[in-house]
Amino acid sequence: MQALSRLSWWLIRAQFTTRRAATLLSMLAVALGVALGYAIHLINDAALADFARAMKSVQGDPDAVIAARDSAGSVPLATLNAIARDPAVLVIAAVIETRVRIDNARTPVTLIGIDVFSAAAVMPDLLPRHNEQAAAPNLFNGGVYASPALLAKLAQRAPDSDSGARPGRTLTLVRGEQQWPATLAGDLPAARPDDLLLVADIAWVQERFGPVDAVSEGRVRLAPDSDLATWRKKWAQQLPAGLLIRVADDDSARVSNLSRAYRVNLNVLALVALLTGAFLVFATQLTSVAQRSTQFALLGVLGLSPRMRLLQVLLEGLAIGVPGALLGLGLGYALAVAFTRLLGGDLGGGYFAGSAPPIIPLPAPALVFLALGCLASLAGASYPAYLNRMQPLAQALKTGFAQQSHADTARATLPRLRLPLFLALAALALAQLPPLFALPLAGYAAIALVLVAGIASAPLLTQLLFGWLSAQALPAPQRIALQNVAQAPLMAQVAASGLIVSFALTASMVIMVSSFRVAVDQWLDHVLPAPLYLRSKATPLPQDLLAALAQPDAPFTRVERMANASLIIDPQRPQVALLVREIDRRDPAARLPVTGPLLAPPATTPAVWISEPMAEIYRLAPGQTLRLPLLGREIEVFIGGVWRDYGRQFGAVVISRQDYQQLGGDFQPTDLALWPRPGEEAHASAWLAPWADQYGLEVADSAEIRRLSLSIFDKSFAVTYALEAAAMLIGLFGLAVTLAASVWLRARELATLGALGFDRRMLSRAVMLEGALIATVGVLIGLACGVGIGAILTHVVNPQAFHWRMALAIPWAALVTGAAITLAAAVLASRHAARQATRLPVAQVLASAQ
Amino acid sequence: MLHVADLAKQHSRASRPLFSALGFTIAAGEIVALVGESGVGKSTLLNCIAGLETADRGSIAIGPQALDIVALDETARAALRARSIGFVFQAFHILPTLTVAQNIAVPLLLCGLPAGEHAARTRALLERVGLASFGPRWPASLSGGELQRVAIARALVHHPALVLADEPTGNLDPRTAGEVLALLLERVREQHTSALVVTHSQHVAQCCDRILTLTPDGLLE
Repeated sequence: MQALSRLSWWLIRAQFTTRRAATLLSMLAVALGVALGYAIHLINDAALADFARAMKSVQGDPDAVIAARDSAGSVPLATLNAIARDPAVLVIAAVIETRVRIDNARTPVTLIGIDVFSAAAVMPDLLPRHNEQAAAPNLFNGGVYASPALLAKLAQRAPDSDSGARPGRTLTLVRGEQQWPATLAGDLPAARPDDLLLVADIAWVQERFGPVDAVSEGRVRLAPDSDLATWRKKWAQQLPAGLLIRVADDDSARVSNLSRAYRVNLNVLALVALLTGAFLVFATQLTSVAQRSTQFALLGVLGLSPRMRLLQVLLEGLAIGVPGALLGLGLGYALAVAFTRLLGGDLGGGYFAGSAPPIIPLPAPALVFLALGCLASLAGASYPAYLNRMQPLAQALKTGFAQQSHADTARATLPRLRLPLFLALAALALAQLPPLFALPLAGYAAIALVLVAGIASAPLLTQLLFGWLSAQALPAPQRIALQNVAQAPLMAQVAASGLIVSFALTASMVIMVSSFRVAVDQWLDHVLPAPLYLRSKATPLPQDLLAALAQPDAPFTRVERMANASLIIDPQRPQVALLVREIDRRDPAARLPVTGPLLAPPATTPAVWISEPMAEIYRLAPGQTLRLPLLGREIEVFIGGVWRDYGRQFGAVVISRQDYQQLGGDFQPTDLALWPRPGEEAHASAWLAPWADQYGLEVADSAEIRRLSLSIFDKSFAVTYALEAAAMLIGLFGLAVTLAASVWLRARELATLGALGFDRRMLSRAVMLEGALIATVGVLIGLACGVGIGAILTHVVNPQAFHWRMALAIPWAALVTGAAITLAAAVLASRHAARQATRLPVAQVLASAQ
Repeated sequence: MLHVADLAKQHSRASRPLFSALGFTIAAGEIVALVGESGVGKSTLLNCIAGLETADRGSIAIGPQALDIVALDETARAALRARSIGFVFQAFHILPTLTVAQNIAVPLLLCGLPAGEHAARTRALLERVGLASFGPRWPASLSGGELQRVAIARALVHHPALVLADEPTGNLDPRTAGEVLALLLERVREQHTSALVVTHSQHVAQCCDRILTLTPDGLLE
């Protein structure tokens, strides 16, 4: 075995030294795939851990949390007291959380009211540290305590004075038009570095911000011998409908669900990169096996067993995969560190905004990704290894790589159509399946099948196209090129398959992004009917502004008010947005981009219109009734219709202001849509400016919001253009490598033509035409597959992963231009092979062929 | 030694057998020439003996243990070739990516000989074929005659029971051919190995101990 290992090592080393560029590129492709996958894993793991730590820091480590299901709701103190009397409960910490602005700052901060004694047991990170040197009241006398990040921000805001973050300083806390002075009395030493928190005594907060006789949450620590599940079950039955009990498992499931589809999509992209690596290993190993077929045949004749011939090619694949995967791990770690610093823990996805978590590599995942890289390279090398195993030794020793003969492949068209047709039908069937584990797994499988169907149809299309062409009256070099391709179907298929896959993926991404952009553009038209928008971040708009807008001298013809809140429908899923809008129950389509049937609600039942994500996640449809956790109770509402929403991935419910108020809701607008009087647009903006300054409000015109939205859209898909370019380069590289190998394999034949009088230009043209013809087949099939995959991405993957529905919009001009550029690039790529053909030492090649 | 008995082979698309009921023996240390017209089946017979093609019928016993290569599976045939057969080809077939010494060591590695031993045996064989200083050189820098000498060294380095030589001088000029043939015969005799030499050259055939002529009607001696 040791002797055979030595022989194997000699052959691997020879492979590396003689095919340096191709081997290195394959290695880099494997490295890239592993790096992307590993980086996504590291970033996501770090982000989830960081998010969990952040939650723990603010929420503490309770066994359970009693909370309202409606963000506007609260937990009655009477309920908390009842729970506190339960012997199974060790301690219950009441908390009031609200958002306030400090002075005129635009960004609100979280103000948390705590009972310091119970907080010590459940939320130790929120315990304040009083600054003894400052002449400030303590916690019980109205002192507030800021987290280090907030202190830094306060100091930054007043850099010229020492008053910004000085203990004893008076802060003005603003909520709506209400303002309360508070004294900074110290800090929160255990708060996380990026939390913007203020902590005060719960009674002090309740007196100023409410709610009366209620709190935001009760955080429960159970007695050591209590069973959480039993306790939860008991209290879940007794709690009012508007309240719920959350446990730690719910929180982690919710955090995981938050970014799950985004993560899986990124992982699929990484998998595509890894598959690209596998394809390059495949192309490299296949051409290598073809070029060394005589050598492998000789080794077989000398006694290398068939199993060892198979193993040798697999080992050579592994010799590419192991260093590639190791390099990928290092690169992945570096990418993870760089990306979290640049984009945050959610890679710009917007799920865990603001965090730059530390990246901690662990051995087990690193080993898994190392194994994945090795598996990809082994998969790429397996078919060439099989071919090497099956080569007839005597024939290969005499004539080199033995391909399936043209006569064998020229079967009837119909039977050869069976496999691609079967695969296409299977893909179609998979595309009809619902999501599995809430993910579009069947959609991804359908995409893979479309690609395989495309590759499987390449020989047939080559035969049909080239058969037709070779029947035409063509000059000799062109005729030879056609015959060469027809007689070397395997090499042609390999060369074409790289282009099929790369062009299909590129075209599909272009189609999906274009469809999405057109849809977002149309959606923005519908959701931005007013010329001007004003919003407050999380706190209600001041009443004096609303009153001023209602005056006749306000320069607006129309003002529509909106309030935003959130609801918990399922504790394990992210919250659903509740949008209270001034909407006409009889004509919701005037304000909402309705996508399905609109049903008139019964006069006595409140109506809601749900977003597409909400309909998909909770499997709801117009005409159904829904028990909505609203205003502290469960209210039966009628679903009047479904509307398109690209802004809130986890669902949104629109209810009219009238219904909301009739149900007893306190309508506190947070957003305004404003229609300035004609010709007074500039005056309207100037009229709003002082209000915006005073209350830290945001004013934007619809054109600006549209521009910003589309710019964010374009930026978020910018990475796909880089991936498309990489895919095309790899496809063209595959074509160039395979054509060069094909020239090498046909050296004798080309040399004979040279000896018979074909000049270099004729040989060069023949090889370039061959490249162009193979590229034509690749691009045509790639385009067809691209349209199919684009449709799957648009109609299956996007709705199932992100709940975004849209119409298919195929940008034909861009696709045809891309196809033309690819063909031109393919001709350029085949120049390398053509040059090889013209440089063949005719006499030497012919002499060695004797 | 080699013992062929009742050997028959017909190609799948051919109307009549290439050969049938072939039988002959080559004793240990005996060198036999196999001649015949093109297309009569010399190469196929050689391939059958090497286990590269399967015979339809008959047996081919190789070496002192008289293992029947026809009855073995593919892996066992490869193992028998590695252990008991040396090959010399018309086109030399020297691996271009290995050095001369590494090329000669390949059969030793395939036999599983320990690393310490094959260096000494390779060196010895290089000396015996007159290429003592050629070990570290790459095949591309060698002439045709030198390459065939390397091939002879590779064929004999593991002391096989049988050497199969297919037109060993076919690619060489007459003077070099003479030298290479003499070297091959000398080394084969020296090792007391059996050899079957397929050739079109009367001169080469005359240099062997015995001549077998393959005809469409069978084997003539």
